Order: sequence, then C-alpha cells, then structure tokens
Amino acid sequence: MKEASRHPLLEIKNVKKTFGKVIALNNVSFALERGELVGLLGDNGAGKSTLIKLIMGIYEPDEGEIFFEGKSLRGLSPGQRRALGIETVPQGGAVVPYMDVARNFFLGREILKFRCLKILNLSKMHEESAKMIAEAGIRLRSTYERVNFLSGGERQAISIARTLYFKGKLMLLDEPTLNLSIKETDKLIDAINTAKNYKIGIIFVTHNVYHVFDIADKFVILNRGNLVGIYPKDMVTPNDLIMCIRTGNPL
Amino acid sequence: MIDFVKTRFLKIEHRYFPSVGVLGSLIIIGLVFGFITNKFFKLDTLAGIFTITAEIGMVCIPLALLIISAEFDLSVGSTFAFAGVLGALLLNQRVNSFLVLAAAIIFGICIGTINGTLVTKLRLPSFIVTLGIMFILRGLLLVITAGFPVSFKGSNMLLFVLNGKLTGEFRMSFIWLILCVIFFHFILNHTRHGNWSLACGGNVDVAQAMGIPTSRVKLINFMLVGATSAFAGMLSFARFGMAYPTLGEGMELEAIAAAVLGGCALRGGFGTIFGASLGALLIASLRVGLVLVGAPAYWYRAFVGLILLIGIIINKEIMRQLVGGEQ
Repeated sequence: MKEASRHPLLEIKNVKKTFGKVIALNNVSFALERGELVGLLGDNGAGKSTLIKLIMGIYEPDEGEIFFEGKSLRGLSPGQRRALGIETVPQGGAVVPYMDVARNFFLGREILKFRCLKILNLSKMHEESAKMIAEAGIRLRSTYERVNFLSGGERQAISIARTLYFKGKLMLLDEPTLNLSIKETDKLIDAINTAKNYKIGIIFVTHNVYHVFDIADKFVILNRGNLVGIYPKDMVTPNDLIMCIRTGNPL
Repeated sequence: MIDFVKTRFLKIEHRYFPSVGVLGSLIIIGLVFGFITNKFFKLDTLAGIFTITAEIGMVCIPLALLIISAEFDLSVGSTFAFAGVLGALLLNQRVNSFLVLAAAIIFGICIGTINGTLVTKLRLPSFIVTLGIMFILRGLLLVITAGFPVSFKGSNMLLFVLNGKLTGEFRMSFIWLILCVIFFHFILNHTRHGNWSLACGGNVDVAQAMGIPTSRVKLINFMLVGATSAFAGMLSFARFGMAYPTLGEGMELEAIAAAVLGGCALRGGFGTIFGASLGALLIASLRVGLVLVGAPAYWYRAFVGLILLIGIIINKEIMRQLVGGEQ
C-alpha cells in the first residue's frame, strides 16, 4: 500500500497510438494524483477518446507506457483494470435500460446469498444501493425503478455511486455532460464532487470548458493527438483554455 | 402517501405488464370457444389443453430465457423430434429406462452446445446457425427412420413417469411443466445467471464492460433450450408410445410466438417466464378449441398467425403505456 502511494495514481508516459497512417496520439505524457480531477480538453479528433480507451485497456499503446499506482497496465484486459479500481462512465452511463437501479448498480458484482448456487440477495442489493446513492447526494424515487425511466444525468450518477461503493480509485468520465440539461449537469457535478471527496482520481473528458472549470484541479489540452499543455487551474481562465483549444497553440 | 403508493407500485416488476395482454387474449379465446361449444370447459378438454401446453411450454420457457439474452433457436422442433425417436430406438434395444432419458437430454445439451458455440465463438447470427441445425437434424431423422414412425410396444415405468395419466385425462407432463416454470422463473429472477441474461439482451456492450462473460451466458442458455426441447420430445414420445420423424415441425415458430405473446422483447433484455407459459397455454387452447369447433386443420396456422399479430399489437401498446417509450 505504501509502495503504491509513493507513485502518482496514474502516469501516462510518452504514449503513442496510430491507426494505419493516422496518428491518434503522439508522445502524450501527464500524471494524475489521488483525489485530483483533470479536465481532458480538446476539439473533435484531438485524441481524448483514444486516450481513455488506452487507459481502459480497449487499445494498447504502440509506444510509451501507462502506469497505475506505479505498475504498468500493459497486457491487462479491461476486466483486470476494473479489478484494480479503474472505472469508466461512458456517455449515458454504464447501465442496462430494462433493469432496475439495484440490479444495475451491482451488475457483474452481485451480492449473493448462497455463493455456490449464485442466488441473488436482492433485499441487500436494494438496501446497499439505496444507501450509497443517497450518500452520493443523488435523489431517486426507488431502487426498484427501471433505469430507462431515469434521466441521462441520473444514469451517470448511478455509475458514479457504483464507483464509490466498489472503492474505485480512478474514474474516467467520457463526455458525461453531453445532452444534459443545465439542472441535470448541476446534479452530475454534485455527484462528481462527492467522488472527489472520496479521494478518487478523475479524468473528465469534455468539449465544454465551463462544465469542468469549477471542479477541475488542472487541465490537459490535446490537439490532433499532440499535447498542447498542462495547466493548473489557478494559472488560467476559461477563456484562455477556449483559445488554446481553438488555436491548438500553447498559452 | 403518494410517495408510498409510487414506491409500492414500482416494486411490481414492469416485465409482468405484457402478461396482462396474453391473459386477456386467453380469457377472450376461452369465452369464444366456450360460447361456440359446451365441450371446451369440460375437464377432459382442459386436461388435453394442459398436455399440449406442457409440450410447447417445455420448449418455449427456456427459449424465452434465450430470447431475453438476445438469441434465437429455430432447431427446437427438430431436437424435440430427434430426442423422441432416439428414446424410442433405445427403449426398443432394451436400454435402461433412465439411461434412455439421460441420453435424450445429453443429446439436447450437445445440440445446444453446437448452436451456442457456433453463435458465440464464430459470431454467426443465431437465426441462420439454428436454421441450419434444424435442417440437418430433420434430414438425419428422415434418413434414420426412412420417414416411418418408431413405436415402442410394451409398458415401461419411464413412459409413466414422463407422461402417464394421473387422474382422468390429466397427465404427468403438467407437473413437469409446473416444475419447469418454477425452475426457470427462479433462474431468471433470483440468480446471477438470470441477471446476466437480462443484461446480455438489454445492452451487451455494458454487460461486457461490467465483466460479464456474455458468450458463456448465451452458451448456457442454448444448452438449457436443447436439454428441455429433448425432454419435451420424450414427453411427446411417452404420450403416444411412438415417435414420429415429422413431429415438432413448426414447433419452433409456435414456441417463439408463445414467448413473444407472453411479452418477451424480440431484441432481448425484457420478458418473463410467467408470460411465456401463458403464451404456451394460449396456443394450446387455440389448437384444441379449433379442433372442438370443427374448424378445418389448415385454419390452425392462420389463427396462430392472427393471434400473434393481435397479441403483439396489444403488447406494444401496453409496453408503451406502462413500461416507457424505449421498448
């Protein structure tokens, strides 16, 4: 444990990824500490999603390494990375539409009554998920509600609460505010703030500087696969970042 | 108070709402046939309906689980017939009764394994794979039997255990059906496998991202369908004491119709075992009712098609009203 805490939570070192002749990411490096929130910014085609998929384990880098708590992630499957504490919240949340909140919350890690028979402990699943969701500041009518009745923000908030419950260490939020109303975005930001209080490292991918500016600790800006710059929050304004994204030039 | 009512209401599984449609259709069919002929509600007729329900239900109930996990099996009718013929041939060779039953079920599991492996490993569409297996099995069956039925002369304990008469025309197969309904209802709603089946059909990408072995879940469902189709074939053989190579032709469509009428979403992720069993009861009632009113045999398929269309329209409306727009 002490060994792990001496290293940054996530360290991306000189990562390069190409798809045929297209260079999706070129020599990108940055680090993320525990409880830190990085706003990963860039226009379409900047390489943000490729970087998230490299961390998730969907792709492997052609060059460079990704370290999690000091250990290389190379060769680990998405499932193995999830077991290490790397959770992803995709657009729309990682939920199945026709299943209720509790079943979704524990999907893949169900609470079982008789382990050998794999029987679900449904009452415990509802109880535990309701407790965690409330603790994360999310207000839902019931954990018996099916998630296709919930708004996009609520679905993502459930994924965030799940990360907290399973003691995830790193959360990758891929365009979480896309298609959300102002109120929904506020609710989601509240849930993300709760996650920060749990000392979870967060990478927040977005086009919208204003959605991430208040809650981020630093910003990583990509442009056409290249790292434009890494800026601590107290050194920049939202307008600086927008200009940087627009021109692709460092500040 | 309103919150309390809302919370209680939400505890009712929304997946059961489509069962209202099939239950309504069942009542209407019962009233229509009951009005036309006074034989429809006689005990012997009801026993006949339950016997047919058992054979369709044993196939359509696990098929509902497979459809919920977003796959299909069109080879169930051929597996049903093949298992019956296999059972008859083995019993004629004086093989131990329970070894015969085990052999038939293992045969069904093997067919399910072949279907499931081709679908999950080679990523082939289940519709085409199982259609191919359906033709292969039916062809082999005709080769083995030369198109003639295989009969078993004499009595055997196995035939009674499977489908012997209990009282009047009521048969053992109805008890097997009830056990099958309870077992698969429990699997779907109270086990991790059921939860994973719902997830595979609801959103396979999320299921995989959550670490669910989707291929294994689907393979198990194919195996369950194979096993119970073979068991249903043995029930049919036990009823007649004879196995026909043409038995079960069209059964795959009846079973799919029953599951869909019972509220299973064809694209997966939604459905109930209770609904599917009511769907089987509806189809069996239709089959027996049409015979009782003296309708020409050819009308049966047309009626099943009509009921299926009406049922699916009712289901869609119920889903839209009560379940939400995404269905």
